[in-house]
Amino acid sequence: MSHSENVLIIGAGLAGMTAGLELAHAGKKVHLVERLPLIGGKVIKDEESFPNLECSTCMVAPVQQDVLQNPNIVTMTYSSVEKIEGEAGAFHVTIKKNARYVSMTDCIGCGMCYEPCPVSQKNEWEENLGDVKAIYVPCAGALPNVPVIDAQICLKLTGKEECSACADSCMFGAIKLDDTDEMVEIDVGAIVIATGAGNYDASKLPQLGYGKLPGVYTPFEFERLFASNGPTLGELTLRDSEKNPEKVVILHCVGREEVGYCSSVCCMYSMKFAHFIKKKLPDAKIFNIYSDVCVVDKNYQKFFKKVEGADTKMLFSPTIDGVKVSGNGSGMKVSYRGGDGADESLDADMVILATAVVPDPEVGTLAEMVGLELDRHGFFAVKDDVAGSVETTREGLFVAGTAEGPKDVQTAVIQAEAVVGRVMSYLGKVTG
Amino acid sequence: MKAKVGVYVCECGPNISEKVDIDKILETLPGLEEYREIELVVKRFGLLCSGDGKTFLEDEINNNGLTHLVLGACSPRDHDKTFIGVCKKTSLNPFLYKIINIREHCAWIISDKDKATEKAITYIRAGINRVLFQSALLEKKLDINPDVLIIGGGIAGMEAALSLAARDRTVYLVEKDDHLGGKAVLLGGLLPRQGGGPAKIREKIESVLGNDMIKVYLESELEGVIGFLGNFEVIVGSPGDEEKKDLKVGAIIVATGSGLADPAILEGLDYSKTDEVITSMDAERMFSKEGKISLKSGGDPKSVALIHCVGREEKGYCSRICCNYMIKIAGYLKDQSADMKVTEFHRGLCLPDKADQGFQKEAEGRGVEFKRVRELTITGTNVRYEGMDGKSEGLKFDMVILAPALEPSEGTEGMADLLGVPLSESGYYQEIHQTTNPVATSIEGVFVVGAAHSPKGITDSMLFAQASAGKILSQLIPGGKITPEIKVSEILEAYCTGCGNCLDVCVYGAIYYDEGRGISVVNEAVCRGCGNCFGSCPSGALRTKHFTNTQLYEEMREAIR
Repeated sequence: MSHSENVLIIGAGLAGMTAGLELAHAGKKVHLVERLPLIGGKVIKDEESFPNLECSTCMVAPVQQDVLQNPNIVTMTYSSVEKIEGEAGAFHVTIKKNARYVSMTDCIGCGMCYEPCPVSQKNEWEENLGDVKAIYVPCAGALPNVPVIDAQICLKLTGKEECSACADSCMFGAIKLDDTDEMVEIDVGAIVIATGAGNYDASKLPQLGYGKLPGVYTPFEFERLFASNGPTLGELTLRDSEKNPEKVVILHCVGREEVGYCSSVCCMYSMKFAHFIKKKLPDAKIFNIYSDVCVVDKNYQKFFKKVEGADTKMLFSPTIDGVKVSGNGSGMKVSYRGGDGADESLDADMVILATAVVPDPEVGTLAEMVGLELDRHGFFAVKDDVAGSVETTREGLFVAGTAEGPKDVQTAVIQAEAVVGRVMSYLGKVTG
Repeated sequence: MKAKVGVYVCECGPNISEKVDIDKILETLPGLEEYREIELVVKRFGLLCSGDGKTFLEDEINNNGLTHLVLGACSPRDHDKTFIGVCKKTSLNPFLYKIINIREHCAWIISDKDKATEKAITYIRAGINRVLFQSALLEKKLDINPDVLIIGGGIAGMEAALSLAARDRTVYLVEKDDHLGGKAVLLGGLLPRQGGGPAKIREKIESVLGNDMIKVYLESELEGVIGFLGNFEVIVGSPGDEEKKDLKVGAIIVATGSGLADPAILEGLDYSKTDEVITSMDAERMFSKEGKISLKSGGDPKSVALIHCVGREEKGYCSRICCNYMIKIAGYLKDQSADMKVTEFHRGLCLPDKADQGFQKEAEGRGVEFKRVRELTITGTNVRYEGMDGKSEGLKFDMVILAPALEPSEGTEGMADLLGVPLSESGYYQEIHQTTNPVATSIEGVFVVGAAHSPKGITDSMLFAQASAGKILSQLIPGGKITPEIKVSEILEAYCTGCGNCLDVCVYGAIYYDEGRGISVVNEAVCRGCGNCFGSCPSGALRTKHFTNTQLYEEMREAIR
């Protein structure tokens, strides 16, 4: 089999996009596969990024645009890698492009089709905090700005009714209700895994009340609640009520003991949350319950100190394990052990759980497909840590971003750029 | 020649056509008095961004011999690039085209159709007036040199060199010491997750020295640099050696490593080389040379206090690596004697890698004690601390090992000055964007990696080094060319008084002072057209192409007429 200079990147978050753009700039043909209908990854869920509190969308949108407009990058959204055959330098990859039911070339993203659609469901991308129609984009500003039809609930596609409301409303004939899944086969020389990570399921710790007490939030639920393009347009209203929180407890290190590592980003985003809340609700009382502080960049501690001084009270607890969140009338009570070992408690109407970063739930399937072993935590393992963490144990396969382990955005980008160097050297070696 | 302006209004399906009276725009514009001197072609089209729309525009430009093009359509964010692409296929210079956003700015936000139409007409008129004052600008292409200069032969510099050499780039590696390896080669051991010992660092040095693509200059320093991405000229010299080397490179990587804060920074700390208080680096050196850590007075210590975060508060940042290496040093001590009392005094553990917590738990399992403290004073080898419970206690040890904060290496300020790269508040080099572009600096083609970038250990240093290699390999392709920014600043010599304001505000180092003529001069290959200088010029000598005062004024004038 002949060697290929093309590259497959799995995952179009910031790591995947960065690697894709740089490789494309070097003249490589890049196939960028993303399982969601939009690119951008987790970063675009954040309103602002730490430590400079820059608007995340503004930071990432130009990258997304560059990716979509780059002639060397073939972006396949709403698609998944089905099969990888061959060997390093000459992989043969089968990709399934799920039927989108909307033409990527004809749709101009005007959004006229959403309103007429008669069915709706919870929007998973918005952490189920808002609703979407069967034809939808996950959020305002999604790129590519082309909706997708969820065939699981669409009246026409489920065979329940002869509905064509979306197609009737489209002036461009972009709705293709007869669309089908498509298999695409490509040859690549190298594969980059940039599939990102998930968050620890807080309901595994029933003492923290997640899923039972409506005032308990995960980090991404809070991000979307605060986001100006989110379901509440950035209004900090509590779930199941129209009220703003008055007493907020942010609990660090949730799941840390269970997973066995520090996730290295939670301290910073917890402080960011405290700052966000204080900015919007100056009268709110905000408490951070923490045990260690991990602020690893030259600029992070400064941000931490600033928020500590102005926006929140830091409460030390020797262990997060003993914390309990219980219902208390219409509010909640958070019990924890204080620095001196005594039991303490706080009233709260909002509790945010800084849950550990964990491997993406679908990582096992991918690992099997690419023939890679995962490390003991379930992340992709690298060949040799001293060599800088982007080469996997299988030749021709590289990993970048949180697929390799928890990390901040900066380090994910650095890994992506390191992958570019490694892939370029590698392709040079195998193709001569 | 009489200007011939093509004005095309996109219906954008119902998006514009239902909310804006396009026919009224087409009727109104040609009758306006201000267009008596020019020719106007005014038409509507269903969807300009479609394949048909692009062909239509291309034909219109060619067949009508248009001199300028104005589109009433959507946001430039959506389709500016699309229409620039159309212009490039024709004889019309893309800088003589402008897209006016009458969808988001008019159709989508104004419910009254008459008002939306009126606003659209105003915007299009302003656009026509601006485009008439725009000038054709031409893209330039410059040859590049793909070779790379690396300053600093520590682990980061060596890794960058090897990564680049692996893709056949010539690398000049300049090191001020008489050996390669930096701080890493001085260590007694590596972390278990780094899978190997100091031999690994020595192997790396051998690979660098044995690589024909890497030219190593020991006991040498960067003495001068001019130029820009793809075309730098640098001077490398050695103290005491008259002969200088002039090198031509396309990019520069700064890998000058890190220094260690003087433990005297810690108030009340009685640190001197003569008693049993040593730094972590002293301990590493001792372990590296003798295979054990001994008291200065001779013999093995029976109890050792390891003090984290020395100088952290004063420096204002966490040094990231100390918790891990202090646990590693505790391991040396426990290996030496399992009974030794080893106590780590910390202020919250920083264990950012997925393997680190396991490493710490393992040390705990071997009997290393971890004490979290609020306050701490050291007198001799006595450690007095206040725990998190508010209680104070004093403990006596045989030996104290300090983890001093990392700090920018000596000479960072001078190097920053030489290269024109700004420093951040922390004293480290400032990257161009902390999150999305962390190894690049405001000087295009100059990259900062390793502990010179921010406190980091071996693994991250190598990762940053590889990242810089990735960026260089993708930006500087042998035989390729670079296209500098077209919308750059220019200085009108007649107006420039040489006051130097613009030099102060230029973050890219693109402006220099010409002593002979007494004026400031813009290096167009370096300028990125940010406009800072334009705003700072008191005499109106500066202008930024495509954003001139006249262009902005004429557009505004028409909009508010």
